Amino acid sequence: MSEAAVIAGDRARMPSARPLVWVAVAVGLVVLAAAPAAVNAYWLRILTTVLMYVIVTQGLNVIVGIAGYHAFGNGVFFGIGAYACGAAMASGLSFPVGVALAVVTSAACAFVLGWPILRLKGHYFAIATVALNLAAVQIVIQIGGITGGAQGLALPLSDWEPRPLYIALYYAMLAGAVVSTAVVAILLRLPLGFALRAIRDSERAAAVMGINTTKAKVYAWAISAALTGFAGAVWAYWITFIEPSSAFDPAVGVKAYIMLIIGGMGSILGPVIGAFVLEIVSTLVWSGFLHAHQLILGLLIIVVCLVAPQGIIDAFTRLFRSIGKRDGAA
Amino acid sequence: MLAQATVNGLLLGGLYGLATVGFSMVWGVMGVINLAHTSFIMLGAYITYVLFERFGVDPLASMPLAMAAMFVLGYGIQRLILNRIIRTSLLLSLVVTFGIELVLTDATVMTFTSDVRSVNASYASASVSVFGVLIPVVRLLAAGLSLALGIGFFVFLRYASLGQAILATALDREMSNLMGINPQTVFALTAGAGAALAGAAGSLASMLFPVSPTMGVSFLAAVFVITVLGGIGSVEGCIVAGFLYGLVQAWAAHFLGTSYQEIVAFAMFLGVLVVRPQGLFGRAFFGEHA
Repeated sequence: MSEAAVIAGDRARMPSARPLVWVAVAVGLVVLAAAPAAVNAYWLRILTTVLMYVIVTQGLNVIVGIAGYHAFGNGVFFGIGAYACGAAMASGLSFPVGVALAVVTSAACAFVLGWPILRLKGHYFAIATVALNLAAVQIVIQIGGITGGAQGLALPLSDWEPRPLYIALYYAMLAGAVVSTAVVAILLRLPLGFALRAIRDSERAAAVMGINTTKAKVYAWAISAALTGFAGAVWAYWITFIEPSSAFDPAVGVKAYIMLIIGGMGSILGPVIGAFVLEIVSTLVWSGFLHAHQLILGLLIIVVCLVAPQGIIDAFTRLFRSIGKRDGAA
Repeated sequence: MLAQATVNGLLLGGLYGLATVGFSMVWGVMGVINLAHTSFIMLGAYITYVLFERFGVDPLASMPLAMAAMFVLGYGIQRLILNRIIRTSLLLSLVVTFGIELVLTDATVMTFTSDVRSVNASYASASVSVFGVLIPVVRLLAAGLSLALGIGFFVFLRYASLGQAILATALDREMSNLMGINPQTVFALTAGAGAALAGAAGSLASMLFPVSPTMGVSFLAAVFVITVLGGIGSVEGCIVAGFLYGLVQAWAAHFLGTSYQEIVAFAMFLGVLVVRPQGLFGRAFFGEHA
């Protein structure tokens, strides 16, 4: 199908689809806001995890989906956020201050590391971020001191009752998910967002058009890191004990990456859908097939990539469009 | 002590080099970062373990079998899954191969449990002494065979027509296609050969390291560092970088302590990426500008 035909098709359909999306978003938000009152501790935990992944995936969306830089090891900022918050709280600061510090520290790390690393292209950038993620584990172990090194770091326990605390943390993740989605939506309308998409499509052309590409990419990565660091900080207080291998688990970044692919890169709501689909499905698989859940998850990933490489929203749109066409022809 | 550390590092480096050759070739020829590569190493080790434990086959004799089995697996995966993926997005291959890795590792856990196994050949504890440096026979064999296989693959690429087809596709996919080379077949053959070499490395590794479903992942860092150090798609680069990596690791452990080994490795990795991203021997392979 030609580009023009796709756009024309979208225009024909868009006016009817757009209000529906807003209604769905509003309903979804109300349901999520009311959820803690209705669900048990098990599902509250799962929903909190889902929202955490919404934040991490939106963070990834900024650098991968919008800027086109495949930060496969973006989970490093999750760990940096977790450790910044953990270290701050272990030295007596309050949780909100810890979260703020985590956001600033993650963004600052991306800012400093971005200048050399974002000059790398394609695969090289992808594996450099993986190396960062793996190196961070060793660095934290070597630093020791306030980070607790290899022994891990216990965060001070809250004097709240467990249930209200977990609900508060759920709302913290929900707020983070809403804000990160809003950040992506706003970014797409800002000049920076246009610059980043220009870079994604052709970096050289963007540079010729007068965009300072390095600066734009570094800003994008800093935003991405700030969001990811926020999720890490709340997560650290949630589980109260962090160690290098769990905070810098490469699976966090990889999982978010898969969610981004399932949802569709560069879209606003795609990462939200991707996070919900993958996390809920893997929870169901996990509880249903305890011994084979990795195998089934792996097969699921392969099938999604084969069947819907542009994400499930795109796949469904195509499916409906082809059904619509068949009806029209008949 | 330093001499001992140097020799040990070099011998281990030979094996690391062989473990990396296939990964580097696959990346160089078709721009696929194959995260399932390390599970080929692990499966190679398990094949050797099973043949040794059940039928008493010598690990060195089972190596060709492990290679053949891994060739079939690598070829099949490329034909059935990856060839469809690389037409769309190259970075999607990263995610798909991660999925394949999950499946292979979990299937291994279900078949063999996650217990740690070992392969103890009759000559496992033998060693020769050269100028006061003790060289374990198994390590010497592993390094020697790794080097031989690496050189063999290098010669195959240069002088066999099939090898030249692989190189041609790596250098210029469209032009090689015009010359009558079918890229899909070349991709599958490259993937098969890469997996076979990984299987051989796993076979040899089973004599040195404990065999477990996660043993492959422990090679991942080394594989990445050596690939980048040697230059993507360069067999000779891989072999030299393997020895270099082993040496640096051993010296880091000797001078700084074992806990610094990985930091030194990653520092080396990031340094190479920033200063000389094409690696020591890298050229403009297809994977370069993918």
